[in-house]
Amino acid sequence: MNQDYINIALADDDEDDRLFFTDAFDELKIQTRVTTYNDGVYLMDYLNSEDALLPNVLFLDLNMPRKTGMECLKEIKANPKFNDIAIAIYSTSASEEDIENTFIQGANIYIKKPDSFKKLKKALAEVVTINWQYHTSGLNKDNFLLRL
Amino acid sequence: MPLRTLYRASWFVKASFIICFFVIFFVAGVTYKNMSDLSESSELVEHRYEIGIQLEMAMSYLKDAETGQRGFIITKDSVYLDPYFSGRENINNSLAALKQLLQDNPTQKKSLRELTELIDERLANFQEAQRFLVQKNNDIESPKFIPIFSKGKVLMDEIRQKIKEMTDLESLQLHEKQKEYKNNLKLTPIFLYIIILLTLVIMVIAYRKIMNDVRMFKIKNEQLELFRESANLSEIISKHGRWKWDIEDDSFEFSDNLYRLLGEEPHSFPPTVENFLKYVHPDDVEKVAEQVTQMREEKDLPFIFYRVVHKNGNIRHLKAYGRTVTNKWGKQNLLGTTTDITDEIANFKALEERNIELERNNRELSAFNHVASHDLQEPLRKIQTFLSRLEEKEEENLSATGVKYMSRIKNAATRMRLLIDDLLQFSRTNKADKIFEISDINVLFEEAMEDLAEKIHEKEATIHADSFPKMYVIPFQIQQLFINLVGNSLKYKAEDRAPKITINYEKVSAEGESLLSKTSHENYHKITYKDNGIGFDNEFAEKIFILFHRLHNRNEYSGTGIGLSICKKIVQNHRGYIFASGEEGVGATFTIYLPIT
Repeated sequence: MNQDYINIALADDDEDDRLFFTDAFDELKIQTRVTTYNDGVYLMDYLNSEDALLPNVLFLDLNMPRKTGMECLKEIKANPKFNDIAIAIYSTSASEEDIENTFIQGANIYIKKPDSFKKLKKALAEVVTINWQYHTSGLNKDNFLLRL
Repeated sequence: MPLRTLYRASWFVKASFIICFFVIFFVAGVTYKNMSDLSESSELVEHRYEIGIQLEMAMSYLKDAETGQRGFIITKDSVYLDPYFSGRENINNSLAALKQLLQDNPTQKKSLRELTELIDERLANFQEAQRFLVQKNNDIESPKFIPIFSKGKVLMDEIRQKIKEMTDLESLQLHEKQKEYKNNLKLTPIFLYIIILLTLVIMVIAYRKIMNDVRMFKIKNEQLELFRESANLSEIISKHGRWKWDIEDDSFEFSDNLYRLLGEEPHSFPPTVENFLKYVHPDDVEKVAEQVTQMREEKDLPFIFYRVVHKNGNIRHLKAYGRTVTNKWGKQNLLGTTTDITDEIANFKALEERNIELERNNRELSAFNHVASHDLQEPLRKIQTFLSRLEEKEEENLSATGVKYMSRIKNAATRMRLLIDDLLQFSRTNKADKIFEISDINVLFEEAMEDLAEKIHEKEATIHADSFPKMYVIPFQIQQLFINLVGNSLKYKAEDRAPKITINYEKVSAEGESLLSKTSHENYHKITYKDNGIGFDNEFAEKIFILFHRLHNRNEYSGTGIGLSICKKIVQNHRGYIFASGEEGVGATFTIYLPIT
């Protein structure tokens, strides 16, 4: 495992959002390797494949066809193999219900997709540089939703 | 009044008749006694005359004997002696009769004995004189004869005296007796007359009483008839039927309308359980029969519901209830009512269906609202993100007009974002999860002010709020209410002065509040919110709460027209009331009433 760069994955059915996502990381001065998947099924197929390179941080869109972000979250949390993956929910909605449910299911952080590129870069930079060890152990609902 | 009560009493007639019966019985007794007294009295008179006659007869026989002897003395003819010979026997007959007649009277009996002795002596004197006359050849001049003759005269006088005595005594006794009877007879007719009159009076009163009672019965009967008629009518109107079950005789009575409930003419079949069960829906027969059996045992019937089938095939739903009633004499009747509830059931079903439909519509609307605003966010966000990229990377390549257009697009997008956010919030206010808790309103207010801290600071607003008591509310909605109200005041602040907001609290009763009418609760929390902003014309006091309704041009103020609608929605969710009033250029006042539960 090469520890020089952070392995990032995103599952999102929206092409524009994937573009913003990769563009943002391109512009950020952080050593990352970004992989994107078009929906939950593609993502889980990859993660479950034998030679999969597990991401350090996984960004999950909630509203996807075939397999939703919530279903992916449950599958990942049910499998001890994926224990080390930090999961960031990356959704348009920030409804109380979604936040509550994903928190209960064990997601690590919740990001509401921002409405400007500048804010997006800021948010992603913050998430990727979080000390996950510290963040996870807190299990605090107050800082679950990322505030920008 | 006591007399009146006496007259009213039901035993009055009975008592009157008993009194009359005894009075007549008594009068009959008295009359009988009088009659027997009268006949006794006449017998007594007859008795007295008999005695008188016998005494007179005895005297007359003695006189005849005397006269005969004297005739013989003068004529010496023995023919004159006949009365003297027969006199002896006749006198004895009279004396025997007298003895019989006077046997009950000791005084007279004694007198009779003395009389008999005197008569015997006189007869002996006759014999002595006769013997002398025969022996001395009728020598009446002889000195021996004179004393004999004289003795005869003395004895005659004594006898006459005795008879007179006896007659007098008899007369006296008769007289006394008759006087007594006369007295009796004089009193009784008046007494009887009065008593019979009294009886007549009692009978007249009793008759009047009977007639009066009969009249009252008639009136009561008429009233009962009317009542029965109105009961029948009300049964028809309210689709009720009555029935009575005499538990001892196991007999039923059905009211007219009960037959109609079964789709039959009144009294078209004998009222029995068997006949009734013929009309019950086959699926319900078993249940109803069971209830009837239970009714026999427990003598009380819970509400039962069943269906009946009319001859024409119509199915009606009935509800029945019954209860045992025991009368004064311990006779038990089970009284029951049966109601046709078909229409109610139909109404209830229709209402239920409409409710379900309404709920479905509401859910759909809410889902639509949520999805629409949610799904609208996505393309908008992308427009904004692309705009930000364009601004960052390509601005220098654009002309001045291009930059201006881009800025306009940005403004439009921002405004759309605002609208969508507010709409989302409005739909969230509508959502079902209204969880009420006892909340510290002061804390909710503080949190709301923290949310707005930046804007409050920026506009240099001063806010004063009273201390609130704990209330039973949906906490996040009350917090939202404060955010929207204060946000509104900051947005519509007057140009020339810093915003100043006061919030007053008061506990009030609904009666004392002119704004409240037809309220569901008695007491309310009254929150009066006041600012010194641009205010509004009171004409718009109600329109201000309408969704998307704005009083100002978008260029002047950035509102969406949703904020106050949300406030109203929140207050309605709490079953409260919100009123607005304002003065243009001076400020606005919002009065909120939340019920105290």
